[in-house]
Amino acid sequence: MLELLEKLCGIDGVSGNEENVRNFIISQIDGFCEWKTDALGNIIVFKKGKKHPSKKVMVDAHTDEVGLVITNITTDGFLKFKVVGGIDISALMFRSVKIGSVNGVICGKPIHLLDKKESEKLPSEDSLYIDIGAENTEQAEKYVRIGDTAVICGGFEANGDKIISKALDDRLGCAILIKLIKSYDEYDFYASFSVQEELGLRGAKTAAFAINPECAIVLEGTTAADIAGVNETDSVCSLGKGPAVSFMDRATVYDRDFYRKALDSGILCQPKRAVAGGNNSGAIHLSREGVRTIAVSVPCRYIHTASSIADINDFENAYKLAVYMLNGILSGEIG
Amino acid sequence: MSIKDTLFALSGLDSAGNLTEAADKAYSMLKEYVKTEKGPNLTVTGFLKGQTDYTLMIDAHIDQIAMVVTGIDDNGFLTVAKSGGIDIRSLPSRRVTVHAKEKITAVFCATPPHLSSKECEYKDIADIKLDTGLGKKAKDIVSLGDYVTFSEAPKELLGNRVSGRSFDNRACVACVIETVKRLSDKELPFNVAFVLSDGEELGLRGTRTATFKINPKEAIVLDVSFGDGIDIPDTDCGKLGLGGMIGVSPALDRKISDKLIFLAKENKIPYQIEAMGAKSGTNADMISVSREGVRTCTLSIPLRNMHTDVETLDLNDLENVCRLLCEYVLSGGVMNA
Repeated sequence: MLELLEKLCGIDGVSGNEENVRNFIISQIDGFCEWKTDALGNIIVFKKGKKHPSKKVMVDAHTDEVGLVITNITTDGFLKFKVVGGIDISALMFRSVKIGSVNGVICGKPIHLLDKKESEKLPSEDSLYIDIGAENTEQAEKYVRIGDTAVICGGFEANGDKIISKALDDRLGCAILIKLIKSYDEYDFYASFSVQEELGLRGAKTAAFAINPECAIVLEGTTAADIAGVNETDSVCSLGKGPAVSFMDRATVYDRDFYRKALDSGILCQPKRAVAGGNNSGAIHLSREGVRTIAVSVPCRYIHTASSIADINDFENAYKLAVYMLNGILSGEIG
Repeated sequence: MSIKDTLFALSGLDSAGNLTEAADKAYSMLKEYVKTEKGPNLTVTGFLKGQTDYTLMIDAHIDQIAMVVTGIDDNGFLTVAKSGGIDIRSLPSRRVTVHAKEKITAVFCATPPHLSSKECEYKDIADIKLDTGLGKKAKDIVSLGDYVTFSEAPKELLGNRVSGRSFDNRACVACVIETVKRLSDKELPFNVAFVLSDGEELGLRGTRTATFKINPKEAIVLDVSFGDGIDIPDTDCGKLGLGGMIGVSPALDRKISDKLIFLAKENKIPYQIEAMGAKSGTNADMISVSREGVRTCTLSIPLRNMHTDVETLDLNDLENVCRLLCEYVLSGGVMNA
């Protein structure tokens, strides 16, 4: 699953431009399930199992990652951009980016030319530009079109138990879901690889409508703030303590029974200890007449940056917990 | 090896304090062409013998900005200090290399989204901890005083533009190596000592002792200077791709400046003037007052995003600096001026 994750993280798929991620996922699941894509670009999957369950369950992961979209080109050939999804300014400053196959860097004033006040405050997003080496608009336009998306570069490194990469949110979920589709075959289930989560849970809305499930399992990456300088009570979840299971975030109040069953599963996991963030559950649980939903999230430090850190054991336990919950709900043992 | 290949090879290696990778590589490159000495510290010096005892020194510092580990906690988070000027606002979530017992990739802590506030102030690098991801084991692998460096690999942008770490001052080290290559089979009017000096980022230290030892009559200092960009006044920078920047300043030797300008014009080598009020902020400030005084001038390469992981330059400027340096040496510098 680690090798699969590395491949997934290496693909660029900023919200709304997720075709390469989609094509890769299709190449992985084709032959293991029935699948189709919808108008937005979601992959809707039906996986036939040995048995027909009494409940319709949908498992979801989102294919997009945060990034940038090019909005203008200056006469000097610099690219103006807007952030797609939530990214801190500090995570943009002096970073390598890629616009398709074109290399760029987010440029800025060198430290030597800043006064003290400037040097202590973040610049505004509006003051940042991408330098692709173009000397003027015409040269830049040969390689980049307005509306193209850019990713902040961050290669995949596995170091002991830890993984460092861009796009861990939510290629972790995609990798788990691909493996589920390939290897879980007790009961029939549905799945969605949803687009545009980072733009406000858009793909999941239509995917949930199409599948019309009674229950849903959302596979995610979530903020882990178990880092220096943060109080333990603010840490949300911790690396190495298993996937985080949510009772409530800013988009969803989760099914309490599912939440408790997950925590009692015997698989190493932890409650998400904050009412913060949100994920596709927000769209799915409100679909049609309502859907009982659980989110299983792999803790990620520095989420939404090109150097997120996750723990391999949490990733593996998230897979185990996903199987446990899916099988439990489908068999009627849970819920 | 092209200038670009040399630059990329040297940019991918690190030299600060006891990290000798880049200096070792530069040494092995130089010694293919000239008599070369190592030390003290990171300093590497190549000598070309000329027809007189007069010596020109060409200096380019080989050290880079870095950070040093000053604290290790029980959870694998490090405290670091700056070794050279670094914009700490850009550190959170940046990936760096800790040169510990083994090389470790680490990430600077970023404030998580649910705790971030707009009024965040960046005053002290000690407030931004460095996450090794090693937990308790960090103490077994990392030692106080270990160096931490940026880790971005060099890469090509459009045209002749490239970006990467430590182009300050590997761009100029690459120029020195290329110039040596081009001059090594020529008859030279005087001796040339090519000094890749240490400790510039800590206050022009390495060249001080190197200059004393070599005792040159004149010197040209190669370094990077500010390149043009958004919000950077034209008066504060050189434009990428318009050639090396010839220093003109009361603290520099005007005869050398004039000779460089003359040679650039005569040979149609693109150049720009970098006029400065007094001190250049480069090794020239130190070399010019060595012993009884040394005629010194600067020749600089415009560089964007100085002291970051993505320093950006135009390779044409490196080529034009090499051409101008060769012309200068072959014409006898200001030996007879």
